[in-house]
Amino acid sequence: MSQSTADIADLIARTALRDRAAFRALYQRTSAKLFGVTLRILKDRFEAEEALQEVYVKIWQRADRYVAGGYSPISWLVAVARNHALDRLRSRRPGADTIEAALEIADRAPDPEAATIGKGERREIENCLGQLQNDRADAVRGAYLDGFSYEELAARYKVPLNTMRTWLRRSLMKLRECLSA
Amino acid sequence: MSTGDESGEPGGDQILAAEYALGLLDEAARARFATRLADEPELRRELRFWQQRFADLDGEFAEATPPARLYEGIEQRLFSGALPASAGLWSSLAFWRGLAAACLAVAIVGVGFGLWAPHAPLTGPELATALEAQGSDVSFIAIYNQAAGTVQIAALSGAPVPDKDFELWAIKGKAAPQSMGVIPVTQSRNIVLSPNLKQGFDAGTVLAVTLEQKGGSPTGVAQGPIVAKGVAIPI
Repeated sequence: MSQSTADIADLIARTALRDRAAFRALYQRTSAKLFGVTLRILKDRFEAEEALQEVYVKIWQRADRYVAGGYSPISWLVAVARNHALDRLRSRRPGADTIEAALEIADRAPDPEAATIGKGERREIENCLGQLQNDRADAVRGAYLDGFSYEELAARYKVPLNTMRTWLRRSLMKLRECLSA
Repeated sequence: MSTGDESGEPGGDQILAAEYALGLLDEAARARFATRLADEPELRRELRFWQQRFADLDGEFAEATPPARLYEGIEQRLFSGALPASAGLWSSLAFWRGLAAACLAVAIVGVGFGLWAPHAPLTGPELATALEAQGSDVSFIAIYNQAAGTVQIAALSGAPVPDKDFELWAIKGKAAPQSMGVIPVTQSRNIVLSPNLKQGFDAGTVLAVTLEQKGGSPTGVAQGPIVAKGVAIPI
C-alpha cells in the first residue's frame, strides 16, 4: 500500500468515527477525482456539482462500510461516485429507478478474493482491451467511463440495439478469457 | 426489455455480472441479479472480478477541481442541524421554481397592466417562459413581444461563471437550436430578433441557456451543458 493510499484509508476510517476534520481532509484529497467521475458521466457541470455533494454526504454516512483491504480506498470512493452518477443518469431516462438496493448488497458482501481490487494494474485490462477491435474496446470503455446504456451505444455506433448487445457481450467474453489467462 | 435473454448463453452469468458492473442491465434484470447476489457466492465472486478489473480503468477519469463553495454545501447538508427547508432555502430548486413562477406571474400581471413595460410597445401577442433546469442554480424569465420582434430576458438567480458566458438559444420544433446571443446574469437584456429568429417563433418554442466559453459557442452549435430552459406559452 502506498503512502497516499494508506492516508486515504486512514481518512475514511476516521470519517467513520465522525471526525469532521478527517472528512474535510478526505474531501480535499479526493474531490477532484470524484468530480471528474460525476462530470464525465453526467456531462453537465451543474448536475455534476450537485451529484458530488450528494456523493460526499453518502461517504460520510457510509464510511463505516469501507472494509480496509477489501477495496483500494480510492476505488471504493470512485465506485460510490460512479454508482451515484449512474443513478442520476437513469433517473433522467424513461422508466427511471435506482440501484441503491443492489449496492447495499454488494457493499456488504466483502470477499477475501477481492483483496487486490483496483490495485491500479491498468496494464492487464488495457492489454486485453487492446486485443479487441478498436470500436468494441471503446464501447466497453464508454459503458464504464461515460455510463452509456446499450441504447446510447447503439446510437453512437449506428447499429441496431440487438447487434450492439451481441457485440458487447462477445467483447466481454473475450475480455473475460484474456483477463483470466 | 430483457426477458431472460441474459441466461442460457455461454458464459451467461459471467457476462451478466460484467453487464451489471458496467451498469448496462435494465431495471428488471438488475433487480433479479441483485436478488441472486445475496444467495450466490459464486456470482458475487464473478461481480468482484469485473469490478476489480474495471476499477483499473479509474485512472482514465480526469481530475477536475470542483468550485470552492461546494464543500460548504456538503457541511451544511450534514451538520447544519437545521431543517433542510430553511438551511437550503437559497439553494433550493423548489424555492427558485416557486419564485420563478411568482415572478413570472407578477411580470405577466405587470405587463397586463402596463406596469412593467418592455422597451417596445405592447401591440402584438406575447409569449413568456420561466427558464430553469434541475441541478442548476441559474434561472431566467423571458417575454417575447411578437409585434416588436423582441425578447426581454432577466435572470432570477445565478451568478456569472469565471471565463464562461451564458448563451441563449431558440429551439423551434425539431430544427437545430438557433443562437440568440450571449446574455448577462446581472441585468436584464432586450434582444431584437433577426428575421431568421422571428420566423416560426411561436408558442411551444423552447428557450434554452447553455454555459459556453467566453463570447459564446464559436461554432454556432451549443457545446456546453443546458443550465436553464423553458417552453414559451401565450400570456
